Amino acid sequence: MTVNRRTLLAGATALGGASFLPTIAHAKGQVVATTYPGTWEDAYRTVVAPMLKKKDNIDLELAPLFAMDQIGKAKAARGAPPFDVFVLDPGPRIVGLEGGLFEKFDAKKLGNLAKLPAGFTDDVGVHVSAQVVGIAYNPKKVPAPKGWADLLKDPWVSRLGITGFQTTFGTSSLIELSKLFGGSLTNVDPALVELKKVLPKIAAVGLPAAMPGLFQQGQCDVMYTNTQTVATLKGKGVDVEFVKPESGAITFFTTMHIAKGTGDLENAYKYLDLVISKDAQEALTKAPYNFLPVNKDVPLAPEMPMKSLDEMAGYVQHDWAKINPLRAAWIEKFNKEMAK
Amino acid sequence: MGRRQSFLDLSYSLVIGGIAILAVLIIVSPVVIALMISFTEGRSLKFPPTGFSFGWYEQLFDPTKSRQIHRAAGNSLEVAALSTLIGVVLATLAALGLARNRARAARVADNFFMSPLVLPGITFGLAALVYFSTLGFRPSLNLMIAGHLIVTMPFILRTTTASLSQLDPALLDSSQSLGASWFYTLRRVTLPLIFPGIAAGAFLAFMASIDNVPVSLFLSNARTDTLPIRMWGMMESTLDVRVAAVSGVLIAAAFVLMLIMEWTVGLTRRMRD
Amino acid sequence: MSITTAAHDPSGPSGHLPSFAREARLRLAEWQLALPLSLAFAALFLAPLLLLVATSFFNDDKITQPGFASWAKFFGDPFNYKVIFDTLLLGLKTVCATVVVGYPLALVYMDLSPRLQKVLLFIIVMPMLLSVVVRTFAWIVVLGREGVVNQTLLWLGLISEPLRLLQTELGLVISLTQIEMPLMLLPLISVMSRLDPNLRDASAALGASRWRTLFTVIVPLSMPGLVAGCLLVFASSTTAFISQTVIGGVRLIYLPLLIWQQSLVVYNWPLAAVASLSLVVSVLTVIAALSYLGRRSSRHLHG
Repeated sequence: MTVNRRTLLAGATALGGASFLPTIAHAKGQVVATTYPGTWEDAYRTVVAPMLKKKDNIDLELAPLFAMDQIGKAKAARGAPPFDVFVLDPGPRIVGLEGGLFEKFDAKKLGNLAKLPAGFTDDVGVHVSAQVVGIAYNPKKVPAPKGWADLLKDPWVSRLGITGFQTTFGTSSLIELSKLFGGSLTNVDPALVELKKVLPKIAAVGLPAAMPGLFQQGQCDVMYTNTQTVATLKGKGVDVEFVKPESGAITFFTTMHIAKGTGDLENAYKYLDLVISKDAQEALTKAPYNFLPVNKDVPLAPEMPMKSLDEMAGYVQHDWAKINPLRAAWIEKFNKEMAK
Repeated sequence: MGRRQSFLDLSYSLVIGGIAILAVLIIVSPVVIALMISFTEGRSLKFPPTGFSFGWYEQLFDPTKSRQIHRAAGNSLEVAALSTLIGVVLATLAALGLARNRARAARVADNFFMSPLVLPGITFGLAALVYFSTLGFRPSLNLMIAGHLIVTMPFILRTTTASLSQLDPALLDSSQSLGASWFYTLRRVTLPLIFPGIAAGAFLAFMASIDNVPVSLFLSNARTDTLPIRMWGMMESTLDVRVAAVSGVLIAAAFVLMLIMEWTVGLTRRMRD
Repeated sequence: MSITTAAHDPSGPSGHLPSFAREARLRLAEWQLALPLSLAFAALFLAPLLLLVATSFFNDDKITQPGFASWAKFFGDPFNYKVIFDTLLLGLKTVCATVVVGYPLALVYMDLSPRLQKVLLFIIVMPMLLSVVVRTFAWIVVLGREGVVNQTLLWLGLISEPLRLLQTELGLVISLTQIEMPLMLLPLISVMSRLDPNLRDASAALGASRWRTLFTVIVPLSMPGLVAGCLLVFASSTTAFISQTVIGGVRLIYLPLLIWQQSLVVYNWPLAAVASLSLVVSVLTVIAALSYLGRRSSRHLHG
């Protein structure tokens, strides 16, 4: 009966062998950074990754995740973050701060610090771009909408694609829509009520990441989104234009943070320094990405709805400390109201 | 009466035949259409495709532009190969142990080993995520191999048990009555006879692992995502025609693999039985 | 322990023990071959599932306060009942569609020459080996606004505006019909190809039309395959996360999407655990009911 022992041994070896496999450990020259799916992913993959490889010989691994999902993943990992650098919008940034997910940030480690306007770094992270959110439409299919309220009227509503509160652009847009119907920063019910009325007409209800694809494939011809997405779609030859709603476009800064407990602290700083460098910012400002630069040496692209970041003061900005506590309930509510 | 009968039979042939043709169309045409689209020159999934080019395949095979896709494919292959290998060893042992055991406990165990096939994959995926992160593991390929092992092993166990049950017990008895040891019988008689069963099961398990979404969805991260997860991401966001090119490659690969398996172990016959 | 004793026991299977004792010893040893797999399953399958059940009995997403709040929250919300109902309904619709479209194909299969049978079987199995993601993607191309169906209908002049097929339940059921079809056909064909062809001839000789033969002879006899196919299709389509999200969008909410959102977007694991256990229980209940009906009908037939 040696057979049993031997075969068992073979089985055990096979099982054990699996655990000796080369684990994908932190390689020497590597940094794992999150990025937003879609335009950011495209841009960082094409522009930033090769630059980082060339300059510091660091491989940039990009994890496409929305801000909320990054926070969720990091929280779930409990001290062993699945990535080294976050990219976040104001709302999730506060959640991350409260959750203690960020490494203390030392701005002096950034060689390009002097190129940033004052106040663009703090002890948790650095501003890397600004975003402008408004309405995108296909000029070949529908006339230009004037404001948020137009989205609920014909001809736009029957070509409208909507998405919920999982993202900053979705949340901000729905808040603005809500304000027009008596809602406020903390009350989005009017928007949901209005949307519900026209729901059968609405062309598409999608996950946030799916929206550019739905637009590109003609499943919808109007949607709320940011300027970078519009630029990327244009770059793909899609007929799309950006509209600043008459009640004002929404703007906010996007920030990057180093995850607490990362194994690649130095690489993370090198990555952040590159992101705010003139070369990277300049390349990201160009079509088809049209990012809003934070580096003082880089002018804004002519396609942008503003000429300089100072104009941001005239745009709509939201207080995310007030929004955050309500957001989970909003996400759920949107799901329920918009399901058939 | 006779005319009525033949009319009825004619209607039978028309309806049944018609639906059968429709069924074949439904099964085949999406695959063919996806394949056609992958050769488009255009940037969208518009049908009929505009022009003919290998442009999207060139993009797909471009090592810098599609690096993450390549790595995801590599991860998929590694996870599938290792989980299948471990699955073959464990399942074959278990099948040898249980196939001809009539005890109630053996039936219970057999059902237990098969249960991942009925359990919703997403439930097991979530359970594995909760379990491994409670134990303090970070997402890695090893965890994924462990997860895939559970959900793909039943395929191997099933085909192996089936081939064992078709073995003529008299054959084994005669081998043993001729003085051959149990191990000798196993090596020289049993294993060669059930080998096609094991191979067919291994093939199915391998493909199931390559295709697995629910488990990978929960156990993967940026470093370890697999091809289906990556494709899902692409479908959900950019929806570029590279997805069609990946599909094209996978269609071709599945076709070739299946031909090989058909010739060597008679795969379809085994799946039918 | 008994493994080592057995290994050093000179009176192994080829020893001189009486045959029944030898048999018993062999049984015992053979049974042990299943141990490695049992251990793997205990550690990697049973333990995670038990932990999942345990997780559901926590009130908060940080998993610190035990209690029934997550269950109460999930089942206190009528919306979730609707999601469960819709999920099961989607499964049933897909089962019906695969039966209606697949059964005739299985009938035709029986009448084909062995050579054509092989070809058809290849055609049926082929999509099964193709990634679900690829199959789902193919349906985006087919059902999209600029896709095959819309372009064809526009060209024929049957419609003036493209139809919305993606993000509708109809589109999803059509896609799932193709995606799950092999799971229906394989067990059906397996059972049907074992039917005695003489039965049909006898039925025809007795003057029954082919329709009558189908419903009185073939369908009852193929019941085991039909039931097996229904079970597989039902289980698979109710949990087809990728197809449900990509083709259904967010407009159609099914349990897998809810589980995914709760676990990987909102990170409320207790609630996700409750949702996924509800999925298991509701799917398994329907499966148990289906197989009970299947057994009863075949017992009725043979009894």
